[in-house]
Amino acid sequence: MSHDQLMNLIDSIASDFLFLEDQDVDIPTAGKFLNQLDAIIRGAEALKIEHLSCVARGLSRLLEKKILDEVKDTETAFATFEKGITIMQEIDRSSGKGGYQGADISGFMESLVCLIGAAPVLEAQGGMVETSAAPDNESNVELENKVEIQDESLLRDFIVEGLEYINEIEVNILNLEQDPGNKDCVNSIFRPFHSIKGVASFLNLENIRALAHDLESLLDKVRNNELSVTAQVIDIILDGADALKAMIGRVRDRMEGRAEATLEIDLPALEQRIRFAQQGKYEQSEPKKIGAILVEDGLISEDALEASLELTKKAPDIKIGEALIAEGKVTPRQVSQALRKQMSQVVDVTSIRVDTRKLDDLIDMIGELVITQSMVRQSPIVLSNMDRKFFRDISQLSSITSELQRTSTSLRMIPIKQTFQRMSRLVRDLSRSAGKSVNVVTEGEDTEIDRNMVEEIYNPLVHLIRNAVDHGIEAPEERTKAGKGETGTIQMKAYHKGGNILIEISDDGKGLSKEKILNKAINNGTVASAAGLSDQDIYRFILLPGLSTAEKITDVSGRGVGMDVVKQAVDKLRGKIEINSRYGFGTTFVTSFPLTLAIIDGMIVRVGREKYIVPTTAIRRLLRPNKEYYNTVIGRGEVINVMGKLLPLVRLHDLFDIEPDCRNPWEATIVVVDGENGAKCLLVDEILGQEEVVIKGLSESLRHVKGVSGGAILGDGNIGLILDPEGLFELSELQGFGGNGEKKN
Amino acid sequence: MDVSKKIKILVVDDFATMRKVIRNLLKQSGYENITEAEDGVVAMNMLKSTKIDFVISDWNMPNMTGIELLKAVRSDNELGSMPFLMVTAESLKDNVVEAVKAGVSNYIVKPFTAEVLGEKIDKILENIK
Repeated sequence: MSHDQLMNLIDSIASDFLFLEDQDVDIPTAGKFLNQLDAIIRGAEALKIEHLSCVARGLSRLLEKKILDEVKDTETAFATFEKGITIMQEIDRSSGKGGYQGADISGFMESLVCLIGAAPVLEAQGGMVETSAAPDNESNVELENKVEIQDESLLRDFIVEGLEYINEIEVNILNLEQDPGNKDCVNSIFRPFHSIKGVASFLNLENIRALAHDLESLLDKVRNNELSVTAQVIDIILDGADALKAMIGRVRDRMEGRAEATLEIDLPALEQRIRFAQQGKYEQSEPKKIGAILVEDGLISEDALEASLELTKKAPDIKIGEALIAEGKVTPRQVSQALRKQMSQVVDVTSIRVDTRKLDDLIDMIGELVITQSMVRQSPIVLSNMDRKFFRDISQLSSITSELQRTSTSLRMIPIKQTFQRMSRLVRDLSRSAGKSVNVVTEGEDTEIDRNMVEEIYNPLVHLIRNAVDHGIEAPEERTKAGKGETGTIQMKAYHKGGNILIEISDDGKGLSKEKILNKAINNGTVASAAGLSDQDIYRFILLPGLSTAEKITDVSGRGVGMDVVKQAVDKLRGKIEINSRYGFGTTFVTSFPLTLAIIDGMIVRVGREKYIVPTTAIRRLLRPNKEYYNTVIGRGEVINVMGKLLPLVRLHDLFDIEPDCRNPWEATIVVVDGENGAKCLLVDEILGQEEVVIKGLSESLRHVKGVSGGAILGDGNIGLILDPEGLFELSELQGFGGNGEKKN
Repeated sequence: MDVSKKIKILVVDDFATMRKVIRNLLKQSGYENITEAEDGVVAMNMLKSTKIDFVISDWNMPNMTGIELLKAVRSDNELGSMPFLMVTAESLKDNVVEAVKAGVSNYIVKPFTAEVLGEKIDKILENIK
């Protein structure tokens, strides 16, 4: 820009100003001036006339203030502006002749600073104009009442549209999580908050307005790249959306004259989190407080926590955990567990979402890879190869594949926590409707289990929990009478043992009555007498269909509803169930499930030329009996004396019609297998080894074949059938009747 | 009745409830001839196809924002002098200054009353005369 052009600009702004009517600058004129001043600033900077750019910037700021209605003394402002223009003209003219040296400028700038509150040379701070809160609120209240009285339909519209918008936010935020850099995504979340805020301000819904405003400013930072999209930001926005939804729901309740649902959201805490997040801080607010964790776990009451918190306020260097221990409210162990929980909350595990089908495919393929790898390894060509390097490579390959398999199966593992949380909720609901007071204690929430298993075990566990609340835990009066606290406790505990996950559900209720169960069983004809029955055996009767469905059983055992259903479900999952109880003190159900349905740990046994897999969990022992331990008992057939007990012998070769190597038990191998109604002995030729195999289901038409639960590809590439002990026993009992059984069918 | 009250006002906002709010406030100020658009693109089409006397537009909208609409209006040969009132939330200073530089007739900050809205409209119409 030439000097002449600059001079023209200043002259035109001066003449425009001269022709202004009634001493006031309206908005369009102000806009024109601002643009002219911008051009002057650019020109002055280009020509390095500092005084000029400084004055022009000052005038610009003054105009902005005027536009924003922040100038109180309009007359002075007007005069100052006029003077500023004159000074600009003077500076410009004199700059051609060796520069303008005027004390005038500093004097003028001072009066300008008085008006606009800050020196214009400083770079603009930009951003939000602070509006004083108090008068604002007042006018809001006024306004709100007006709108509320005058237009209820507006409110109704807002509720509908607002909720729609929030749903939109939820959808968009998931997109944002996958594509954090997407500005369109940010905008599409920003806008609904903005709109909600706008309308809420008209409808005088101050809480909604404030929260929407906070969320909007947070997103604004994201939009301006001042903040990156992290999991925490996403969480906060989702929580915020939830809170807004709940608040709008309350407005609706109020409007429809219903009782407002209580707001379970800690608004100040949420606002605090948003504020922290805006500064890029999360940790302070993210992890739960130790006290809160302890209360949640039911170790202390909220009142106790409050009391101790008061104490720690007086002595700031004592931590809450220490205070609670000192008061004897909790044990140090419990505090350290809570601390560990708190730590695990802070550790932020980044994760991605994957379609489970893809995951299943991957795991399947890896299973195949493992098998192929072991086939290669066992091939005669490889075995006869003496090259050392080749040998090393092969073992390297097999260790990598087995590591791969381990990792792949762990992909599908998820902590049981969620299931426990659902259970806790169930207990709360059930106990409330039953008028009982029940505490839930969980242990081992991080124990992992196959995702597919989680859904499968849910129903049996629900049954157990339901029974524990309905029939286990007594009513408060009864408990007091029995000398127990009014509040019952249900404990859920999970841990790994062997290849299984064990889930214990115990209650401190009235426990099972052995006598009553036994009487019932005898009346029912299930057993003849109590002779030879262990406590366990007696408790197990409640799992039988005949006993549990009878209405009376509720009175008898306190365990009524469909325990046989639980049993069936557990069986289907190759799980086990064990019952321990003390009359008057409570009952514990220990259920054990395989970690996954995809893999089974089995013994490979050989009969003739066939190989079978016996689930290791079912095997009690392996033995080769002496000849004298083998007997035939009339009515029971062949038996083997195992540690003094006579167990029936089941000949696999008979069941499957194979020609075995040996028919005499003392020459063959006996596998003692556990079944529901006692153990039995399987006669096989040889044990080949133990292997983890990937289960391949049988096709639909073969699903009901008794004695076989599936197949697997063995290490040598051959197929082995997985034996199902229960089914085998049934099969053997059918065959035990000889020709009779066949004729019946 | 005041002739100026007969002008046709276009209210642009993506939030239907907000449009209704403004419509109600306009009615309170005596303006009856009101039409609506849910974003800048729709508004621009309406401005070109029908005779509109006055635009009240929100800032933040999908597809075409208020400031984009304003710029499009100002750079249009026929619509160039269209009275344009911008609605903003809070005085976001940068936004307001940007709008003023782009030639907005005036701006109004949410929430506002019928009186303030009426005054702003009167002022804009007065300046045009």
